[in-house]
Amino acid sequence: MPREARHAVLWMAGRRTLRAGVVWGLGFGVLVATTAAGYAGAFPTLESRQKLATSFSSNPGIAALIGPARRLDTVAGFTAWRTIGIVSIVGAVWGLFWGTRALRGEEDAGRWELVLAGPTTRGRATGETLTALLLGWVALLVVTIVCVVASSRSTAISFDAGNAVLLCCAITATALLFMAIGAAAAQLASTRRQANAIGGGVLGASYLVRMVADADSRLSWLRWASPLGWIEELRPFAGARPIVLVLIAAVAVALGVVAIRLADARDCGSGSLRVADSRALDRRGLQSPFGLSLRLLRPTMVAWFASLSVAGVIFGLVAQSAAEGISGNTVVEDSIARIGGRRGGAQAYLGLTLVIAAALIAFVVASHISALRAEEDEGHLDTLFAQPVSRTRWLVGRAVIAAGVAVLAGVTTGVGAWLGAASQHTRLDFATLVAAGLNLAPPALFVVGVGVLVHGFHPRWAPTVAYTLVAWSFVIELVASVINANHWLLDTSLLYHLAPAPATDPRWSSAAALVGLGVAAAVVGVVRFEHRDL
Amino acid sequence: MAGAIVTRGLTKHYGRVAALDDLDLTVEPGEVFGYLGPNGAGKTTTIRLLLGIARATHGRAEVLGIDCQADPVEAHRRLAYVPGEASLWPQLTGQETLHLLGRLHGSCDEAYRRTLVERFDLDASKKVRTYSKGNRQKVVLIGALMTRAEVLLLDEPTSGLDPLMEQTFRECVRDAHDRGQTVFLSSHILGEVEALCERVAILRAGKLVEVGRLADMRHLAALSIEAQLQGPPPDVAHVDGVIDAVVDGNTLRCRVTGSIDPLLRALAPVGVRRLISREPSLEELFLAHYGTEPAHAA
Repeated sequence: MPREARHAVLWMAGRRTLRAGVVWGLGFGVLVATTAAGYAGAFPTLESRQKLATSFSSNPGIAALIGPARRLDTVAGFTAWRTIGIVSIVGAVWGLFWGTRALRGEEDAGRWELVLAGPTTRGRATGETLTALLLGWVALLVVTIVCVVASSRSTAISFDAGNAVLLCCAITATALLFMAIGAAAAQLASTRRQANAIGGGVLGASYLVRMVADADSRLSWLRWASPLGWIEELRPFAGARPIVLVLIAAVAVALGVVAIRLADARDCGSGSLRVADSRALDRRGLQSPFGLSLRLLRPTMVAWFASLSVAGVIFGLVAQSAAEGISGNTVVEDSIARIGGRRGGAQAYLGLTLVIAAALIAFVVASHISALRAEEDEGHLDTLFAQPVSRTRWLVGRAVIAAGVAVLAGVTTGVGAWLGAASQHTRLDFATLVAAGLNLAPPALFVVGVGVLVHGFHPRWAPTVAYTLVAWSFVIELVASVINANHWLLDTSLLYHLAPAPATDPRWSSAAALVGLGVAAAVVGVVRFEHRDL
Repeated sequence: MAGAIVTRGLTKHYGRVAALDDLDLTVEPGEVFGYLGPNGAGKTTTIRLLLGIARATHGRAEVLGIDCQADPVEAHRRLAYVPGEASLWPQLTGQETLHLLGRLHGSCDEAYRRTLVERFDLDASKKVRTYSKGNRQKVVLIGALMTRAEVLLLDEPTSGLDPLMEQTFRECVRDAHDRGQTVFLSSHILGEVEALCERVAILRAGKLVEVGRLADMRHLAALSIEAQLQGPPPDVAHVDGVIDAVVDGNTLRCRVTGSIDPLLRALAPVGVRRLISREPSLEELFLAHYGTEPAHAA
């Protein structure tokens, strides 16, 4: 048999994961480099760096949110803290999506059956796909390392190579772990959506455990119970412990083996966890296209509302203690002022952190745009529009649901933050926090508009455009919080147009402009959708 | 324009490719109309244009006098559609899908739906995710038939059904015909079309090459002749109307278009022991249009 035929699965899956690994590695590398360069530019003197280090290092609120701050008086220490805390989460989501896509998405689409009809077994095909995923991860790691090492040649940054490699391992390790978690979840679940839900649950729990461990030094041993804690224990630039990589690799390999065993033991098309295949007639939502959409989207919407309200509660819980740490620190106040904040204390802290929630809400909305494309791709729209169903009403309905999710998710986050703050006797006005929550919706509403516009003209591009818009805005926001970037660049970020409420009052005029533009884009998209081929 | 389904100059281009070219077709109310063609001939494109799911490059399409391109929703109230590849929501059960399709369409004969579920032997309490292709096909068939719509647009409706279910499907189409419903049946299964349709249209590379009553088409097409002679057959290659002549001992097999008289005259001197003539099957008509030789009756 020719080599390509023997490893057809590996080549097929490997090509795609390699490409994705290279592209995302570039993204990760650029993020690390810009964070380092931003710090070096914003805190040029030793004094300013030490001031930042003192205020952040002993701050449990900040530690809970991003992770323990070590050696913040150095470029490398700050960069490691910031990127391990944030980029690793992006890496985890990336790994999870690739894991479930390769090992469950293909099966859902019916292509896995074709693969298994070839000269292979379920276990072997799973093993080859895991190898392909590993190759993609190696590409991610190598490209990240190349970018970081290349950027560290700048005298302002000057990372030492060994620690730089360890940092890259740390920020990409979650991608590897969650690929493996996704692979195992893909065997347990019956659909990719379920596998993503299982993996998402593990990620959420890992984050919570890590938060608790980092917020209270007496509970720091809990870090060993969370994959996100393990990568903190690698400690690049602050007493490196590369030995922890062995634990990470061992867990990833063990999960891979479990995935292969489970794949061998189950039927193609079903999961190891049994779910009921029949049920009595449940009429909810089956009376109209709008009702159907609500019914189909309900499980994920509920999960997101729950996650965002928990995030809100956590932000609220730690707001006061975080605020005490940063009060009077001109460096931090400068950074709040840079994104438009005027008030200090807990409000300033919430103003900074709620921007993360705004990005998440925009991400949720982008997933709704992606779902539009998926429904058309899978032929569900053909079935729907062969009935007396108006295309305009359907798409307007979907846009209204996505917009409703954005608004409700914002309010839920605001109420959660109020609850968290109130439980700590932090005096924050309920109405102020609800308004701050509402203030998170406009960027997401703009994403809905642009998504619908692109879906009207070129549905294949809609998910990419929506996700890219969100990712770009988030990256620019990360950069903007550290350096004084060019305002033309900042203007391209949707999140930049968001007033950091409650650190300042919401700017309803710019919010209205964003929403207005979104509505106009959506109207054009809907009109075009009515007239194009499905 | 009169007729249950009428198209005039209906054309669809995808880029430079003409998927359908200048289609003029009239399906009379109450008839069962067969629509034949090889893969990629434009059958599904025609149906998508009739549904308004695809937009015509030019030309018109009407169902029951309603312009399906301008007002698809109104047209859909009076028609029901069965795709060849049913794309349903995997998380709903069969029963829930049928309930949904009935509510979306606006009309559903509940008693008939129950009868159909029984006749097609469908376990409707199961989730669509667990259904085989045949079972998914049953769901869309029941979903369309239960509406009792005036026009049924069926695109390869029996793909994935077993022979027993195929028979049930034929009975349902006959029932629909008896009730005066119009059926537009696009199919690859020639036996099915032959059993159900009075008129057929044959499509090739986006163009209509033949349309008419099956009986007339047979009559006009070449007869198959098998003649057993008393001696070696004469050379009939140049006899008027004779094609595809094959000699096997004293037996001659050929096809004849037009009058059979010149062939009989050519054979008479040898002496004819037995002569069998047969009208072409739909399969032979179909192959005649798709073979390498050009279509005769276009």
